[in-house]
Amino acid sequence: MTSSGPVSTDALFQPADIVWTPVSPRLAAARLTVAAIVLVPLLVAGVVWAVLTGAAAVWTAPAAVLAVGVWLGWLVPRQVRAVGYAERADDLLIRRGIMFKTLVVVPYGRMQYVDVNAGPVDRSFGIAAVQLHTAAPNTDASIHGLRPEEAARLRDRLASRGEARLAGL
Amino acid sequence: MSTAETPSVAGPAPVTAEAVGEDAYAWRRVHPITPLLRGWKALVAVLAIFAAQAGDNVRNLAHVLGGRTWLALVGVLVLVTVVTLVYSAFAWRAMRFAVTDEAVHLRQGIVFRQQRQARLDRLQAVDVVQPLLARLVGLSELRLEVAGGHGSAVSLSFLREDEADALRAELLALAAGLRRPSAPQPSAVPGAQTVPTAPGSPLPPSSAQPAVFPMPGPAPVSAPAFAPAPEQQVYELPMPRLLGSILLSGGTVWLVLGVVAITVTIVVSESIDAAFGVLPAVLGAVSWVWSRLNGAATFRAAISPDGIRLRHGLTETRTQTVPPGRVQAVRLHQPLLWRSRDWWRVQINVAGYGTEAKERENEAVLHPVATRQEAMTALWLVLPDLGVADPQAVLDAAFTGRGDDGGFTPSPRAARWVDPIGWRRRGVLVTDRALLVRSGRWWRSVEVVPHERTQSLAVRQGPIQRALGVATFVVHSTPGPVSPRAEHLTEQAAAALMDEQAARARHARQAAGPEQWMRRGTS
Repeated sequence: MTSSGPVSTDALFQPADIVWTPVSPRLAAARLTVAAIVLVPLLVAGVVWAVLTGAAAVWTAPAAVLAVGVWLGWLVPRQVRAVGYAERADDLLIRRGIMFKTLVVVPYGRMQYVDVNAGPVDRSFGIAAVQLHTAAPNTDASIHGLRPEEAARLRDRLASRGEARLAGL
Repeated sequence: MSTAETPSVAGPAPVTAEAVGEDAYAWRRVHPITPLLRGWKALVAVLAIFAAQAGDNVRNLAHVLGGRTWLALVGVLVLVTVVTLVYSAFAWRAMRFAVTDEAVHLRQGIVFRQQRQARLDRLQAVDVVQPLLARLVGLSELRLEVAGGHGSAVSLSFLREDEADALRAELLALAAGLRRPSAPQPSAVPGAQTVPTAPGSPLPPSSAQPAVFPMPGPAPVSAPAFAPAPEQQVYELPMPRLLGSILLSGGTVWLVLGVVAITVTIVVSESIDAAFGVLPAVLGAVSWVWSRLNGAATFRAAISPDGIRLRHGLTETRTQTVPPGRVQAVRLHQPLLWRSRDWWRVQINVAGYGTEAKERENEAVLHPVATRQEAMTALWLVLPDLGVADPQAVLDAAFTGRGDDGGFTPSPRAARWVDPIGWRRRGVLVTDRALLVRSGRWWRSVEVVPHERTQSLAVRQGPIQRALGVATFVVHSTPGPVSPRAEHLTEQAAAALMDEQAARARHARQAAGPEQWMRRGTS
């Protein structure tokens, strides 16, 4: 549960005066569920195949699937813990990633619209995703794994702040 | 062209206001010859498909039908022509537009009806496009770019040339925040195209109106009330330089290689069959060269109170007007072979331009082949004040400098492990007005983003970059040829940029002029 990343990058990805809000750990559960939906049938198929043929070499297939599953089980919770966002007076900060770190700053006044999305798996875990859109399509400002009430609050807050600081392009 | 059943283009004002509609807009129609121009295109497309698909079938058909083949073919041709023309005529009838003080309204479609309303204060650019055929008959297409992404432009095709120009002046004036005179009197109209009419009778007498083509009655309700803004030419592209630039381009190199390959293959294999493998590549290169030549020929740039005006094109001419503050980012690029001549290609991001790759090549260009001096002028058009004491020195450092020339923050030496060739060229400079990103050792490139046009910012770092202590700083801009990113800066520099650039962009936005550029200082 320790904070990730070496000390040297703290200045870059964890500026001192910012309080990060983490996303819900249920996001990890949701992502692992999606992974399981793909991996479990593969694993079962692999095991059945290996049992039927009886060849030792065939067991590498289910073993590989299992290894991927274990790796994801280790990686995904870490990734989810690395995601955070912070609402400053004039902009929204989003950071994510451990190996490949990204920090995005989106000024409220540049916001064109806000999306709140929740797929079936997300809904069953009680989480939703908020995505901000600016006039630049490569602005990757999405926050996954918010509780629905937090997503709604954030959406309304972003919309009202965007309106207050409305600018053209 | 058959002109028997269509009104002559040179005739008196064929396009007119329709009756004031149910919503009190002054609906207008595009030129009645539009169906012919559009239908012709559709007809060619149909014939091309027909020819491509039915090569063998026609031969079989000919066998079956015997001597009557040609009769059948002509019959099909006539049928297709008639159907396209009739459909185009109905499409013309269904299409109408209106200009109010706030927006342009467009209604079109027969089966699928579309109503589009584009707010004038969101106007990003106005283009007048004249394809060859339309140019021959004196018509043009007016395109309004609004920042809505793919297919969001409002296209009014076709209008008479003078009408399109007057409409453009009107749209730009309205978008600039000027207001129409409340009661437009013909005597008060400064535009060249005043139609002497009896004011105060907006509805034409219905008896004088043919059923299909409404003929000119009284003045359109939205008569051209604004004179075009005066403009002053800044630079033009001489034809020899354009030809030279095309000769010194990658496309030409590929073309020559392709032709050599074909020749060698034919000589060696003593048959022409083998050449067909290379043919598509050669045709691609030819098409690239032609599009570059056609799009950039007669390129002229002028400045006017309405913004930057670009005119270019050989067969299809295009006049672009980009109002002040609509250019989101600039990229000055120098391909390898242009180094000896010190030529630069200046591309811009304008929201709405270049949503299709084909358009990007010719639309989002501020100067196709600029000398160093012209490249600076082009940049000046966008950014009159660079925000530095000595712009010449800074731009020289941006164009050809390396390391910390001109006050740039260079990439650290550690970056040579991830970018062994270009790392010395990489650097950023923040001025009072803009962010300059320099890169490319052989293919030199400079990207400039005015602070107030910054959309959002990001900083990225992969594992190798982390080990080297460098990071990538990205500025998000609207879609277009420019996507500014400063690779491999030191972590300190990236963190400082991230911190300060957000604040700088905020302050620049507050200080920037209003969207309606003529309202500057009055509101």
